[in-house]
Order: sequence, then structure tokens, then C-alpha cells
Amino acid sequence: MTVIQERQVVSRRRWGDGLRRALRGEGAYLAMLLPLLLFVAAIAIYPLLFSFRISLFKYRLTDPNQLQTFVGLDNYLRAFQDPIVLTSLRVTLIYVAGTVLLEMVLGLALALLLASEGRMIRGTRALLLLPMALPPLVVGLVWKSLYNADFGVIPYYLKALGVDVGRGPLAELGWAMPAVILIDVWQWTPLLMIIFLAGLKSLPVEPYEAAFADGATRWQRFIHITLPLLKPTLLVALLLRTMQSFKVFDVIYATTGGGPGSATTVLNFHIYTVGMTFFDMGYAAALANVLLVIIAILSVLYIMILERQQL
Amino acid sequence: MSRNLWKFLNMLLVGILLLGVAGCTAPVAPAAPAPAGGAPAAAAPTGLEACQGQNLVLASMTDQYVAAFRALVPKFEEASGATVTLDELGYVDLYQKLIADFVGHTGNYDLMTVDIVWSGEFGQNGYTLPLDDFMARDEAELQLDDILPVAWTLGEWQGAHAAYPLAGYANVLNYRKDLLAQAGIEPPATQEELLAAAQALTDPAAGVYGIALLGAKGPAVAQDYMAWVQQHGGRILDDAGKPALNTPENVEILKFFGELFKYAPDGATDYWWDQRETAFRNGNVAMMEGWSIARAGYENPEISTVVGKVDIAVAPVKAGMEPKYGFGGWGIGINADSTPQEQECAWQFIKWLTSPEIQKEWLRNDGAPIRRSTMTDPEIVAEYPWMPVLLESFEKGDGDYRPRIPQYSIIQDALGTHVNAFLVGEETAEEALAAAQKQVEDNWQ
Repeated sequence: MTVIQERQVVSRRRWGDGLRRALRGEGAYLAMLLPLLLFVAAIAIYPLLFSFRISLFKYRLTDPNQLQTFVGLDNYLRAFQDPIVLTSLRVTLIYVAGTVLLEMVLGLALALLLASEGRMIRGTRALLLLPMALPPLVVGLVWKSLYNADFGVIPYYLKALGVDVGRGPLAELGWAMPAVILIDVWQWTPLLMIIFLAGLKSLPVEPYEAAFADGATRWQRFIHITLPLLKPTLLVALLLRTMQSFKVFDVIYATTGGGPGSATTVLNFHIYTVGMTFFDMGYAAALANVLLVIIAILSVLYIMILERQQL
Repeated sequence: MSRNLWKFLNMLLVGILLLGVAGCTAPVAPAAPAPAGGAPAAAAPTGLEACQGQNLVLASMTDQYVAAFRALVPKFEEASGATVTLDELGYVDLYQKLIADFVGHTGNYDLMTVDIVWSGEFGQNGYTLPLDDFMARDEAELQLDDILPVAWTLGEWQGAHAAYPLAGYANVLNYRKDLLAQAGIEPPATQEELLAAAQALTDPAAGVYGIALLGAKGPAVAQDYMAWVQQHGGRILDDAGKPALNTPENVEILKFFGELFKYAPDGATDYWWDQRETAFRNGNVAMMEGWSIARAGYENPEISTVVGKVDIAVAPVKAGMEPKYGFGGWGIGINADSTPQEQECAWQFIKWLTSPEIQKEWLRNDGAPIRRSTMTDPEIVAEYPWMPVLLESFEKGDGDYRPRIPQYSIIQDALGTHVNAFLVGEETAEEALAAAQKQVEDNWQ
């Protein structure tokens, strides 16, 4: 009896040693990484592969027989001949350029303005963060009623000032795009302000002291010290907002529905129409992949620039 | 990182890729459709007792009639012993959630309100249970003849019933008695008179416009334009059932539609149904064509500033045209994926709700009528004096002016984009309809 018990104890100890050894060496990496890898595979990689596969098929979700016909790259070729895709790409670029540029400039200005400490300033910063906390759909609906030509507050005051608002900001061809850009700027400038504030706070003091000793003006300090030092932060912010802006959907959905005409039909909204109105899943997947590639290229570009900056 | 680790990671990635491909190669086999709900076992109860202990989920559009559901569902629960959960959804959400439920065969919703224009799609694809077996079984209790012929377009598809009539809407002309009398204008009987009246009644300085219209990109403008096509005798589909959007007649009608917008509030090209209602209830417009179900609300001082000033007339048609009136509304369908017991109970709910006695309650709680007996009931007519106008509209109703075909959403999307583009001056009438026609043909299945 005792011999058997001893053996059991010994074998258990050996097994425990093995595990410990495995966890000590390279095995530790694997053991720790495995759950994450499985998670990423299930959440990110599998859907990506599925969407790529579907994009090679003609697949209509509402087809009663659920037929999937292999069509090769037809969906992609169709995308590049689709006039709506080309228009929506142009619209998306305008939207991205408008929102990102304005938000960068305003975000930086606000960050500089609110960089010092003080109770008032801290309170103001907290207030400015509020728009970011709201769901974009709610923001869209609120602005839609603010913009309404007949009952909205904004046209009401514009009219009182003698401005002709026509059909209202969201319904005039030339105004719809600036109007939705303004909503995005209102909501997301605070995010950039936060990022820039963090960047400003982490800048070294010595260059400023040296500049002060040399008698540099505020403007010179900003141009020659703050901006160059802040470059990595600026690039991170630019990258982040560009990618987010490319994927815009909710605000457009809630305000203009892509109208008037196709003035605000961004690519993501068109993909939504193809996918959720026509249920043309193959084509929608192909379009989504095109968007994905555009964003991926942009990301790689930005990361490359970023790395060069830091070297 | 060591080499072994790299090797492992690479192998893992390859494994995932293979897994993905393997998972993809087997095409999704069409799930066997649930057995049609007819022919229940002989012993199974066929009355309200079939509902004892059942749990149903009802997906309802948040139209006015949802208030009637809120009022009547508890009464049904009391009478039947079933539990009915009411899920209230907006138009677009309802459609997308239903489609997801149908194609995924998840059977979440047992009962659903079905827009008249979804009849073809739901029927063709077998999403909702054909109700014909139930109807044949219980014919003696249903008083089918009492339901107006046009109401059957709410759910009928190729001779079968994908949904049962629930709420019939007539496209009617609402007008402000006081404003028309002031201007000495008779309620317009033809489209030409409507345009003239809209012009005469428009006075931007006083903040009053001739007519409120739906102009917002999407379903709103598409459906309003189709209503005008109907009132001018135009057509969306040709004799062969193929889309014919850019006929010369339709171009003329679109120009007329655009002409009307000159006498609409400035923001009308951005109006969805609720904003059009707001404009009328706020007293910003003198006339508005719209669904009859909204009529009762104009007499409710909580939501209307025009109480007692409104009357309705049949929707004017083009001079010389045989009068036909736009008909729409909602049917109620049963999910083909629900269990036979749930389907039986769901049918009991439909039967109960559409019975003549309950229909009066339905109407009084903001529902909309489907039965002649309800619309001619002396009590109801006394409470709702506009019922005869509605009945006339129903008698000559046209439930097909928006094609109830499976491809409807494609037509609606194309018109929704390009009619709006015409109204805001991005395209001419000819360009807009040609582009819409092309878009429909490109996506036609």
C-alpha cells in the first residue's frame, strides 16, 4: 500500500514539475497567448475570411434556396464600374478631408487653450468631453431636428439674421456635406483635444527654457518647438481619425440617409444599402473589402511615417 | 521570440486559414422549411383554448395602431391564457429584424405586422405561414365577406395569404376648412385643382404653405411619388410586370410632383412621415395627402393645433381619370418557423383581433378598419364622421400602386434616391427616372 501511495506522489510531483518547467520556458508564451489567439481567430480572422469568400460568390440572403454561385472576381469588377461606388468614394474622401482637417486644427487649438491647470479649465475640459459620450445615432437625430428648415432652431436663428436657408442645411445640395461634417466635428474634436493634451503634457520643459533664455516669442516656440515635438502625437491622431472617418455610417444614416440625391452617400452607406436593402451579400462583401483595403493601405502608410519619425 | 514559437504561430495561422476554408466549402444547406401549419391533429383544440400557456412575440410597426395593440393585447391574454410580448419597432428596423429572423430561421417573432408592399417578398420566400389552411378550417367563424375586397391586398400573394388584413389605410386629402373657406376655394377634386389650390393657399409671409409632401431621400419620397403616379394614371410596372419607371408619362408626373413642391414648406424635401404630420398638425400647411389612420389624431388637442379645423376628402385624381384611390396599410402574419402550437395560438390571436366585436375596440384605440360592418356601424360613424369618405376610398381602392412584388425594395430604393435628386435640383426629371430605371435593372433578380 505504502509503496503504491509513494509512487503516486512521485508521479504527481513529476507531472507538476513538467508543467512548471513548461511554464518557465518558451511554453509560457504559448500557454499565455493561446486564449488570445483563439479569441482573435474566432472574432477577427474567421469573419474576415468568410467575408472574403462570400465576396467571390453571388449570394442573395433572401434567396429562398440560399443559392451561392461562384463568380470569381465579378463582384470586384462590378464595384469598379458601379457609378454609385465611384461617387460615394469621392463623397467619402471629401467627408474624411473635411472632418479630419477641421478636427485636427480645432483639437490642437483647444488643447493649447486648455493646457494650463485651474478649476475653470478643468471644468471646461470635462464639459467639452460630453459630445463624445453620446451615441452617434442620438447625435444624428438631435442635429437633424436642430437643422430642420421649418421647425429647427438653427434655421430659425439664421432666418432671423436674414440668411436664406433654402430647404434647410441637410436638404440643400451644397450644404448637406458641410452640415454633416459639422456634426462630426462637434462630436469628435474633443477626442483629438484629449490626445493633444496628453501629448502636450508629456513634452520636455528644457527646450522651452532654452528658448525663453534665447528670447523666442510664443509663436516661435509653438512653430519651432511644440509642433516638431508633437509630431508623433499629431500623426497618431491623424491616423485614428482618418480611419474612423472613412468608416462613417451612423451619423449619415440618422440625418440625411445619404441624400439629398447622393450628396452624402458615403461608401459605407452604399455598402449598407446593398447589404441590408438588396441583401446582395456577395457584392456587399466585395465593397466592404475594398473599403478595408483602402483603410489598411492608409494605416500602413501612417505607421511607416510614424516609425520613421521616431527613428 | 524563438524559432519554435514562430513555427508554432505560423502553423496556427495556417490551421486557422484551413479551418476557415473548410468551413466555407460546404455551402449552407437550405434549412428545411417548417411544416405548413394547416391540418393540425384532429384532437388539437382550434379555439382560444389552444393558447393556454403559450408565449407569443408580436413585432409591430410603431404606427398609430400600436396603441391599439397595447390596449388589446392584455385583453387577449386574459381571454386566452397566452402571454403576448409586444415588440415595437420603427419601419426600417422592423423590416431588417424580420428578414434576419426569417433567413436565420430563428423563429423569434411569432406574429408580425406586414406592410402591404412586403406581401410578395414574404409570400414568395415562404417567410410567413400561408394562412389559407387555417382560413378554410375556420371559415364559418371568420365572416370573410365582411372584409372589404381591397383589404385582401394586405398580404395576398399569388392567390395565397401571406398575411391577414390588419389595418387598412386610404390615401386621402386632408385640408383645413378654415383656410380654404378664407380663400374661397372648394376642396380640390382633381389634381389640376389641387395644384391651383396649393398655389393660391401658399403665403410664406404668413408661414402657411399649400401642401405638405414627403421629400426625404429613401422610402418616404419614393412612396409619395408612387402615390402621385397612381393619381395620374401612371404605372410603375409594364404589362409584362417589368419595371417601367422612365416612361414619358412618368416623367410628366414627376415634373408635376416637383411643381407641387414649390408650394410646400421649405424643408419638405427633407420630410419623412413624422415631419409631414408635424407640419400639418402645427398649422403650417393648408392641405396634405396622407394615410387615413392619422385622421383621428388631428382632433386630439395634445398633439394637434388644428382641432376642429380639418376635413378630409377622397384623394383627387387627374381630370377625366376613372377615380381610383391609393390603398395601403398592414397585414398581420405568422412566422413559418414558429412551432405548430405557437402558429395555432397566433392564428387564434388574428381571428380574435379581426372579429367584428373586437374591431370596434381596435378602431377606437387608434387602429384602422378592414371590415365593412365596422365602417358602417352607426356608433362608429357617429364617433368618426369621416368614415364614409374612407369607405368610398376603400371601395375604389388600389392596393397595387406600389407593386407588391418581391423586388419592391429595389424599386423603392432607386426612386427614393433619384426622385429626391430631382427635387433638390441634382438631376432633371428625365435623368432621374432614367437613372432609377437603370439602377433597378442592374439589381433586378
